[in-house]
Formats: sequence, structure tokens, C-alpha cells
Amino acid sequence: MWHEQIDGAETGSWKRLRTIAAAAFGLTLAGAAAAATQVRDPALTRTSEQGQFRVQISSDASPIPMRRIHSWTIRLADDGGHSVERATIKVDGGMPEHHHGLPTQPEVAATETPGVYKINGVRFSMTGWWVFNLDIATPDGRADTVTFNVTL
Amino acid sequence: MRSLFYGLVALGLVGAASAPMPWSAEELSVLRTLWIGALETPADPSNRYADNPQAAELGRALFFDQRLSANGKVACASCHEPDHSFTDARPVGQGIGQGGRRTMPIQPATYETWQFWDGRADSLWAQALGPIENPVEHGFTRMQVAHLIQTHYGSRYEALFGPLPDLADTRRFPERASPVGDTGARSAWAAMSEADQALVNRVFANFGKAIAAYERTLDLKPTRFDDYVAGLFGEGQPVELTTDEMEGLQLFMGKGQCLQCHNGPLLTNGGFANTGVPLGGAGEDTGRAAGVRAALADPFNCDGAFSDAKAGECEELDYAVRDELTQMRAFKVPSLRGVAQRAPYMHAGQFASLEEVLDHYERAPLAPMGRSEIHPVSFNRIERRQLIAFLHTLDER
Repeated sequence: MWHEQIDGAETGSWKRLRTIAAAAFGLTLAGAAAAATQVRDPALTRTSEQGQFRVQISSDASPIPMRRIHSWTIRLADDGGHSVERATIKVDGGMPEHHHGLPTQPEVAATETPGVYKINGVRFSMTGWWVFNLDIATPDGRADTVTFNVTL
Repeated sequence: MRSLFYGLVALGLVGAASAPMPWSAEELSVLRTLWIGALETPADPSNRYADNPQAAELGRALFFDQRLSANGKVACASCHEPDHSFTDARPVGQGIGQGGRRTMPIQPATYETWQFWDGRADSLWAQALGPIENPVEHGFTRMQVAHLIQTHYGSRYEALFGPLPDLADTRRFPERASPVGDTGARSAWAAMSEADQALVNRVFANFGKAIAAYERTLDLKPTRFDDYVAGLFGEGQPVELTTDEMEGLQLFMGKGQCLQCHNGPLLTNGGFANTGVPLGGAGEDTGRAAGVRAALADPFNCDGAFSDAKAGECEELDYAVRDELTQMRAFKVPSLRGVAQRAPYMHAGQFASLEEVLDHYERAPLAPMGRSEIHPVSFNRIERRQLIAFLHTLDER
């Protein structure tokens, strides 16, 4: 499933995709047929890995356009459901099955609404399974990561 | 079967044709995305002359003008031959000298942001400037372009773009000068005032904008494939494809997974990919890795002083992936419109025929630099013939 090469150079985002894939592989080995499905859970409302945040993402364009830059909205709350403001959010991702990251480098900006952020500069270049990773950090020191699967 | 029926009802196809429909509702919706009717020439906010007919007329004259070269023999049209889909049949371009990459056809480029195989320009007009000063292409300088415009196109230029600088003053404006030329051109450029450099850069940018306006008039025309899709949707007379062409289209959309990169009405996603092609004429060419760096540094980019774009209108540049390692030896995914008429293939013409291209995709070898994104796929002899038959339905007529 992984068409590996020996040359080497890897970036953080690529390593993360590999980690996700390795996790998927490990879970499959554990014998759970549902594991692969779980890894590709399409839910766009998720709790972050350490449980710090509840995160919802949605495309501002419907249907999700191909080959065109558009924005997404993030709604960020803490584990008690309260809006989280002044968070720093970094986005990366890509297509684990195709050895490439996102075709653009989206940036997250806060909006005037508490807990609502925009991901600007998203473009999809093909159909298939895409992964978005959001690294979230708040001024009071909370930090966590959440991964979304978007299949186009 | 029932869902297929309802899909066809939704698409308005039931009862439209007497022959059985060979495509599922999902396949039909994909076919429609590949149809030329889905193609629109995008606005170019960085070029306010993009759709100006006078600019296009001036640009057409410049495009064919061989005086825009060090030896007086190289025009844009020398490599972008109008009777050859605005490309040539050589593995790499041949101007004053031999280039390192394959000449790209122009019509598909008019619909796209990123130009050149490495995307080092983010508009048609910025692209048009590069070959002019490339020593193996036109071998010219921007200062010479300004002089030539004043001598031969002065009134037409000024009617569009306003007064030219006082180029007759040879102390301020030497004969040859460029920041990217040979030693003589560079030292002449360095001796100019910044204000005069900006005046010449402005003329050079306008020159590119006029050429871009002309290029935008070079529309892609519907192919047999487009006629077939149009017929499916009642947008034209029904057209039949041969059995081989139909099977080839099925392979293209299915087993071959060609749509992953060759999607949309241009049959390209407009992006860059490392497909592990051999080194070729340009040798250790890093492709998009260097291209993105060049595009960001280009004074003629969408965010630059000579662009007409407002803040926020340069999204492709502003959100371009800057990381170079992940883009090592990625090259532009080319449009497949007219592909079967456009040998040789890849960024340095590494493959002489479509058969050789299919050989490459079957083997999916390790990339000579960076990481290949493709997986091996196996086609039998009949499938290869069918895929190529389908690609011929994209021939320009």
C-alpha cells in the first residue's frame, strides 16, 4: 500500500500522514475490520486527541469545489462547550494514499465571532481521501491536535 | 439499478436516447465535469488589459515579431507555432540556443494561474517576460524591448498604456540593459537610476500584458469527446464513440486512475506532481521546488508593483505551498487536450510516444529526485490501445 522510496527527505506534515497510516495499519493488524473505517471517519465535528477541544469544520462553498480556492469555517469550543477565543491554529494535511500534502498552504484567521475562525486558501486538486490536521494552541497554554477526513 | 434509474431521471436523461446508457449516474456527473462547456476563461485581476481588444491586437503583433531577439530570428511563435497547437515537436525548446524544457502549448495555459513547467510565473503576462530575457530563448533584454516598442509600436503602445519614457536619452536608457542578463546587460542596468529602472520595468510589464491579452483570445475548441458528452446531455447532436474509445474512456476514469490528476475540463488539476520521470535534458531539475521560490520573488508577480490586482486578489500566490522538499521535482500536470498530437511528452520530452508514457505509468519507477506520487498499474495490450484511442478523441480539429 505504501510505495516507499529510499531517498529520504520528509517534512512534518508528511511524517504525520505516515503516522496516521501506520496507526491505521496497526489497528488493522489488531484484527478490527472496522479500524480502517474508523481512521477515515468522515465526521466534521470531533473532539481533539487529548480531549481539550471540540472542533467543527465546514466548507463555506457547497458543494465543495474542485480546483478553486475557497474557505472553510472552524467552530472551536473547550471540553465544556464554551467558545475558545484567541487560539492559534495551524492547518496542514494532504492525501495519505498519494504521497502528497495539500496543494495550497491554507492559513487560519480569527473572525469577530468568538470561537469562529476561517481557514482561507483551501484548494482541492482531485477527488479521493483528504486529511486535514489542525494544531490548536491557546494563550493560556492549552494545546491539542485534531484530524479530519474529507472524502471528495 | 434503481438508483441508476433515478440518477438518470435527475440528470434528465431518461427517454433522451434510444440506445442503452453505458454510464452510471456517478460516471455521467464526472463526464460532465470534463466537458469543455464547463470551461470558463478566468478573470486576471493582475492584468487590467487582459480582455482589451486593442491590447490583444498589439500583443498579436508582438507575439510574431522576430526582432524581439538577439539574432533577429526568434519570436514567441518560433516555438509556440500556431499550426502546431502553439507548441513545437521538439523534446526541448530551440531558440537562440537549446533550452532545458519542452515548449508548452498556449491555449490551456490561458485558463490557468501557474505558468511554466515549474510554475515560476503566476500569470500569463509574467510568463511572457521570462523567455524574452532567457539567453537560450530570445536572448533579449527588457531595455531592448522598450526601445523596440518605441521604434515600431510607439503610438499603439501609448494609446493603451500612456506615454513612454524618454528612451532617446541614451545616458539614462542604454541600448541593452537587464537585471538578469549577461554581465554587460547587468552592469548597464545597475548604472541606471531606480526610477528609470522602474520606468523600463513598467514598459516590460505592459509588453507582457499585451501578449497575454492576445493569448487569451486563443480559445480551446470542442473535440470529439466534447461532442460526445454534449450529446449525452442533449446539448448537441448525439455522437458515438467507437468501442475502443468507450473502453479507453472507462479505463481513463476507472482502473487507470488518470482522473486523479487529469480532471476538470482541461483534464488537469492545475497542480504539480512528481511522477518519477527520468532526468531528461534539464538534468537535475528540481521543478516546483525552485519554481515556487522564483514565483514568490518575481517582481512581476500578482502581488508586485506592476500588477493591477488589489489586496486579497492573489490567492494562488498568497496560499502557495512554500515548502520545497515536498515539491522536489514536481512538474505541472499538463492538460490532455490535444495530447495525442503533441509528442514528445513530459517536461523535457523524455518520452517519444504515448506508448512510452504508458510504459512509464505501468512501471512507476522510483523518482531520480524527490518522491514519486504514482503507483504501478498494469494494462494489457488491448487496454493500451483503448486508452490511446480515447486520448485521440481529445485531438484538436
